[in-house]
Amino acid sequence: MPSNTHIPNSLIIVDDSSVDLKINSRIASLTKLFKQILCFNSAEAALDFLVENLNNPEVCPVLILLDIQMPEMDGFEFLKRYERFPRSFKEKSAVIMLSSTDDLGDMTRVESDKNVVRLLKKPLQIGELKELLTRIYDL
Amino acid sequence: MTIIKVLYVDDEENNLSSFRANFRRLYEIYTANSGAEALDILSQTEVHIVISDQRMPNMTGVELFKKIKKLYPEPIRILLTGYTDIEALADAINTGDIYRYITKPWNEIELNNGIQNAYDVFRTRRELKEKLMELQKTNDELNRFIYSISHELRAPLASALGVINLAKLDNVFAESEKGYEYWNLIEDCCARLDYNITSTLQYYKNSRYSNVKEEVNFEKLVDDLVTMHKLANNVDDKIRFEVSIDQPEKFIGDIFRIEVIIGNLISNAIKYQKPEEEDKLIKIEVKVNRLDAIITITDNGLGILNDHLNKIFNQFFRMHNQKGTGLGLFIVREALAKLDGKISVESVLNSGTKFTIRIPNNVPDI
Repeated sequence: MPSNTHIPNSLIIVDDSSVDLKINSRIASLTKLFKQILCFNSAEAALDFLVENLNNPEVCPVLILLDIQMPEMDGFEFLKRYERFPRSFKEKSAVIMLSSTDDLGDMTRVESDKNVVRLLKKPLQIGELKELLTRIYDL
Repeated sequence: MTIIKVLYVDDEENNLSSFRANFRRLYEIYTANSGAEALDILSQTEVHIVISDQRMPNMTGVELFKKIKKLYPEPIRILLTGYTDIEALADAINTGDIYRYITKPWNEIELNNGIQNAYDVFRTRRELKEKLMELQKTNDELNRFIYSISHELRAPLASALGVINLAKLDNVFAESEKGYEYWNLIEDCCARLDYNITSTLQYYKNSRYSNVKEEVNFEKLVDDLVTMHKLANNVDDKIRFEVSIDQPEKFIGDIFRIEVIIGNLISNAIKYQKPEEEDKLIKIEVKVNRLDAIITITDNGLGILNDHLNKIFNQFFRMHNQKGTGLGLFIVREALAKLDGKISVESVLNSGTKFTIRIPNNVPDI
C-alpha cells in the first residue's frame, strides 16, 4: 500500500458496465469526499487519460476504483501497465479493486499487488467505502 | 481402417526379404539392417510396431529398444531371439523395454499374431492418450466456463443490489409506505439468488481444488463468517450468537473448505430458526488440539424429523416449505470428505439441532 496521505484530486472509476459506473459514481459522490469523479468504461480509456495527465495538478493525485473483469483489457492488465507509471505519481495515488468475484485466484492476485490497497466487493457499500477512505487518508 | 506400419530390423538381408514377402500384403513394411538405420527411419516415419532381431553387430536388439523407448515411446516393440539369449532377455522384459519376444526362426502365423496383438495395444494406448487429452481440454474449458459464468451471473446481480442500495440512500419512494418494503423484497430475492449461485459454484470448486495447507485462526474465521452470514441473511440482532473458541494449538488445514463447511452450517442455523422463538440462539464452539479441530454448531430452531436425519446430506434434499437449494449440507459432506473429516448430527424436532464436526489437524508431528 502506498504510504500516502495525499487526498486525491480526482476519483477515477473504471468499469465496463455503465450501470455500475452510474451506481458507483453516485455512491462516491454521496461520500462528499471527492472534488471530481471521472468515469471510464474501459481500462484502455482510463490509461490513455492517465498517461496524458500524469503531471496535471488538476487531476492528480488520483484514487482509482478498478473493476477486475472487463472485456479486452482486464483489471490485472491495467495494473501491469499502471506499474510502469512514474514512482512520484504512484506514491501519491492509490488503487481500490472493486469486483463481485469470489474466485480465490483473483483474490490472492489482488492481495499480492503492491499498488492495490484493497479489494471491495460489489455492490459497493457507502459505509465500507467511507471507512476505507478514512483509513487511507487519515481523515 | 488405418494400415499398420511395421519396422523390421535384422542384419541378415535374407530375413528382411522373407519378412517382406510374407507380410507386404498385410502391412506397410519398413526394413533396416542395423540399429542405426532403424533409428534413422524412426526419425522420419511414425510406425506402430518395431520388430528387431536380438543378435546384430554394433547394437543388439535390446540396446536398440532401450534407445527407441526413450526417443519414441509409442511404437510397440517385439524382439526376435533364439533360446540361447533368454538370460539377456529377462532384464529387458522386466524393465518394460519389450512388449513380447518371439523365438527364431519365426513362423508366419505366430509372428502375425504377435503383430496383431501389438497393434491392439498400440491402438488402446493411443486412444487412452487421446481421451486423456480430451478430458484435460474439457476440464480446462469447464474451469474457464465456471469462472466466466460465475462472473456473468453474479455481476448483474451485484449491479441490481447496487441500484437497490442507491434507491434506499436516495430515498426513492420514501413517501410511499409500501416502497421501502418492496425494495427490501427485491433485495432479498437478489441476495438469495446470489447465495444459490455461489453455493452451486462452491460445490463444483470443492470437487476440484486440491487441499491447501495453511494456518487457520478459528477466532477470526468464525468471527468473519458470523458477520458475513448475518449480513447475507439480514439477521441484525434478532439472533443471539454465542461463540467460544478454545485454540491453544496451531491448526494447519484447508481454509477454503473449512469456511465452506462452517459457513453452510451457520447459514442453515440461521435459516431454520423458529419464527416465533423469542430468544433465537446459535452456539458455535471450537476446540483445537494437536489431532483435530472439533466444532459444534447448536441452534434452538426447528429441528429435524428423525426420519429425515439420514437424508439431510443428500443432494437436493430439502425440508418442505423451506428456502434453499438443498445443496448446503451436501456440499458440507463433500468438503469434509476431502479433508478426511467427520460430521454427526443430533436433533430434536421443535427444540433444535446440533452438528458436530471433526477436522484433522495437519500440524506436523514434533
